[in-house]
Amino acid sequence: MFLAWQEIKKNKLRFTLITGILMLVSFLVFFLSGLATGLADLNREAVDKWEASAIILTEESDKSLYQSFMSTDQLKDVEAEKTAVLGQLNAIATNGDNKKNISLFGINKEEFLLPNVTEGKAFEKANEVVADDSLKDEGFDLGDTLSLSSSDQQLTIVGFTEQARFNAAPVLYASLETFHLVKFGEVADQKKDQINGIVVQDDSISNLTQNEELKAIEIESFIESLPGYTEQKLTLNFMIYFLFGISSIIVAFFLYVLTVQKISMFGVMKAQGISSSYLSRSVVAQTFILSFIGTVIGFALTLISGAFLPAAIPVSFDLTSMMLYGIILIIVAMVGAVFSVLTIVRIDPLKAIGG
Amino acid sequence: MMAVLELHQVKKSYGSGHTKVDALKETNFLADRGELIAIIGPSGSGKSTFLTIVGGLLSPTSGDVIINRQNLTDLNEKTRSQIRLKEIGFVLQASNLVPFLTVANQLKLLDKVKKGNISKSERNQLNEDLGIADLLMKYPSDLSGGQRQRVAIAKALYSNPSIILADEPTASLDSDRAYEVMELLQKVTKQKKTTTIVVTHDIRLVDFCDKVYKMTDGVLLALEKQDEKEINHIPQ
Repeated sequence: MFLAWQEIKKNKLRFTLITGILMLVSFLVFFLSGLATGLADLNREAVDKWEASAIILTEESDKSLYQSFMSTDQLKDVEAEKTAVLGQLNAIATNGDNKKNISLFGINKEEFLLPNVTEGKAFEKANEVVADDSLKDEGFDLGDTLSLSSSDQQLTIVGFTEQARFNAAPVLYASLETFHLVKFGEVADQKKDQINGIVVQDDSISNLTQNEELKAIEIESFIESLPGYTEQKLTLNFMIYFLFGISSIIVAFFLYVLTVQKISMFGVMKAQGISSSYLSRSVVAQTFILSFIGTVIGFALTLISGAFLPAAIPVSFDLTSMMLYGIILIIVAMVGAVFSVLTIVRIDPLKAIGG
Repeated sequence: MMAVLELHQVKKSYGSGHTKVDALKETNFLADRGELIAIIGPSGSGKSTFLTIVGGLLSPTSGDVIINRQNLTDLNEKTRSQIRLKEIGFVLQASNLVPFLTVANQLKLLDKVKKGNISKSERNQLNEDLGIADLLMKYPSDLSGGQRQRVAIAKALYSNPSIILADEPTASLDSDRAYEVMELLQKVTKQKKTTTIVVTHDIRLVDFCDKVYKMTDGVLLALEKQDEKEINHIPQ
């Protein structure tokens, strides 16, 4: 560490440049991880609020809530600690001034799908809804009357809840009655037992139903089947992993060049009896110092810039993931130092002193 | 008295058959404590081969190199590296200083790798003796050639090695600085009872030495210091 730190102190500009590049790479990694988390949240927030273990959908729906049609009668075919019925439809809501894609959840108020209301109150009567509070940023407010595409029904926002988006659309929570009115209009009464799925809270997800027309799907699997979710996640994760590789290559390249420039010096030191392992440890320590500083600055810069981003950018910083990525960045940077270590080990002190 | 350094029938050859070259022919050599020895000879005569074998950097084809009763030829590279660190100090032609360390840190580095076997008072005395006490906070690029060699000698002497091997230590210096460096080597050799071997083709330096050897085509020959004809016959 002594040799490593002294060299950094003496050659500040050179090492600032390397640290700067590592800082930018780490900034990009952290930002992409924030974007990945933010985009994932857009899809899954409302589902995570269920704290459910599984969802029962029809076998033929292929894990799509929207394509699953069942009856509340089928609830008797489900054996679980807790169950909650769910009707769901997508629509465009407008309050006259603003329009927004929404997802309407029809639920029973007494079941566990009702979210915590953070502003206003829970729905009590037909056509009342509790809305995701991201709608406030879109110009919607308490008391607004909403018109929905493909329905004559008008809904009133009576409350807001936090972090309730489903497949990138803010959720409106309403009673099953309201849901049926919106979905079926005049024939709502005839369809009042229609739902899309049954959400389950149970320690085990096996043997939840013996009905062959129904299928229990683990919640994580259900989320991964949401349209675009997995593709989006894989793309962003691929970019992050690619950046890990780039980071390692950058460090390997820079350190190798620096090591080659010091071959003669290292050779003399080896001739004097300073071991290859001491010199190698010094290079690895130097890599650790540079990557640690670069990563910490990148981390801070990400959080600072995140605070100034407009709400429209779906960034959400998960500190645990960021710290994990930071540690990985430091480790891959140190892997990049391996080439330099090999170079040091191969240096012949005899050549260095001109023998 | 037991010799610090012994070479018994040491030979170094490269290649084989028609292409075989004997860089160092069968050589016997003894050096005692407190001796300053010059090895003179033209370029390519085998001086550096001799020095690197004595320094444990090159293994001889045959023969034994014994430093303080330890036969280097029996040891692996790791152990030889430890012996170099403990028993041998190098002073090289090009300054062997680490460019990004101050003079104080050059010595501190040795303190770290040698696990601090020199006391603070010894260190201060060494700095005073070599006239580098005022240079401690300077980087090598801030020093003159003579000052750099003085620091290099300080490094070589650090932790009291038995042997100092100096390879053309005055090559980059003018006459005054060269004599100054040789005086210094002579002084520390006598004071600290080290064995100092100076490889050089600068015949002006032999006056400072106790013994002079001449290397010609891999053959090491002991000379009398008075043998001016032999000494002056070395091509520069």
